[in-house]
Amino acid sequence: MRRERLALLVTLLVFASSLAAAAWLGARLFVAERDNALIASLGAGHDLAVSTDDPPELLFARLHFLATRDRLDEAQPLLNQLASGDDRRLAVAALYDMANARLRLAFDQLESNRIDPAIPLVRLAKDNYRRALTLDPGFWDGKYNLDIAMRLVRDFPQIDLEGEEIPPEAAKKLWTDLPGLPRGLP
Amino acid sequence: MERFARILPLLLLLAGAAPAAAQLRSVDLYAPRGFGYVIGDTLTLTAEVALDAPFVLDPASLPQPRALDYWLDLRQARLADHGVRDGVHRYTLDLVYQTFYAPLEPRRMTIPAVSLFAIDGERRVPVEVPAWSFLMSPLREIVATGPGPAMVLRPDISPGPIPIAALLRNLAAALGVALLAFLALAWQMGWGPFGRRRARPFTRAARAIPATLRAPAGDPGSPASGYGSALRMLHRAFDATDGRGVFAEDLPGFFERHMAFRSAELEIRRLFDASRRAFFGADPAGAQRDLPPADLVALARRLRAVERGTL
Repeated sequence: MRRERLALLVTLLVFASSLAAAAWLGARLFVAERDNALIASLGAGHDLAVSTDDPPELLFARLHFLATRDRLDEAQPLLNQLASGDDRRLAVAALYDMANARLRLAFDQLESNRIDPAIPLVRLAKDNYRRALTLDPGFWDGKYNLDIAMRLVRDFPQIDLEGEEIPPEAAKKLWTDLPGLPRGLP
Repeated sequence: MERFARILPLLLLLAGAAPAAAQLRSVDLYAPRGFGYVIGDTLTLTAEVALDAPFVLDPASLPQPRALDYWLDLRQARLADHGVRDGVHRYTLDLVYQTFYAPLEPRRMTIPAVSLFAIDGERRVPVEVPAWSFLMSPLREIVATGPGPAMVLRPDISPGPIPIAALLRNLAAALGVALLAFLALAWQMGWGPFGRRRARPFTRAARAIPATLRAPAGDPGSPASGYGSALRMLHRAFDATDGRGVFAEDLPGFFERHMAFRSAELEIRRLFDASRRAFFGADPAGAQRDLPPADLVALARRLRAVERGTL
């Protein structure tokens, strides 16, 4: 009798806990399905806002939406969040898409012969590709596009400006360009 | 630099450091293949360092992961200490580099030497992991000759949905467990179709009777014998089926209420006659002649089949 009661109790416990697990999973599934609907809606071109608490997949969908519409300033905070997030795959994708968007923008500038605004765009794109490749060294599309960006604006060994040692001529130049500096009149 | 291009264990004795040579046994560099690297690739150099015993590698002299050059990052520096054996302290140093050079044609690049220090408290001896060079290859032509425009980016990664397959699988598993637990609960509580399982006294009797007949080899005349017990089991099954005590004179009423058993009416009457002889007539031997144990077993099985509705 006692054993039967114990078996009954165990069965009840298993039943209750599996029901609770099912309810929790069902709730998560419901939320995921809702977010997937939002992702699909963003993909269809609806301008939906997201919040920073949303799952990274949704943030990435929003970033892709913004990046493909040249709204890079709005996309940057999302990129920062995704690049420092836990999901490495999405971090790589976000860095790569953002770099692509910058590079496309730079192409547009170059086509209309505006070199100066294009250069920082290419530099930022290169930086993002590099960060993507740092996370995933075997990412071939990233390698290919970084190669394109590298040939647009090549890297060169730069003077090491880190630390306190600013070269004297650079320090001089820094000051002479400043307006309103006393010119050493007595 | 050419001499380092081979994959080789390389013995490096420090030139111009004669007293140091005594403390530093060897630095062997194990390098990966020296060609076919493209932009973004990682490569791992492994250096095996052997020092004379009191010396240890100064952990502070290990290179920190950082950008070494505009095209070269040191991603990782792992030092494994293999301890002292035969007066030689051995280490393995793994250096993981990532190259970001974009060559226009195959080009030899050099990873610079790494300087470490071995210490034994007061003395400090330099340990140098030698430089290594490798060939990098371009990914694209210099002048595009393929179809289409020259500079086409590889496409974006499009956003995908949140993966729900694992969630669905877990949910199905949880529901499955819940269903099984519910069935077990119903079985234990005798709910629904399991209720009838409980009310199958003939099934239970048919299962128990053969063993009961075999068990006590004692006096076949005593009512406590296996035969008597088997008879009582069948009677209890009748009682349980009808919900009250069933005696020979109650049989017509019993058949009224349980029509299915009418097909076995003759045998049932034989059973009741035999038990009357056994229990009230004090003639168990005669009862056993009327209804031999084998027939009793067969009757129990027959009644079980009737109860299940398979007859």
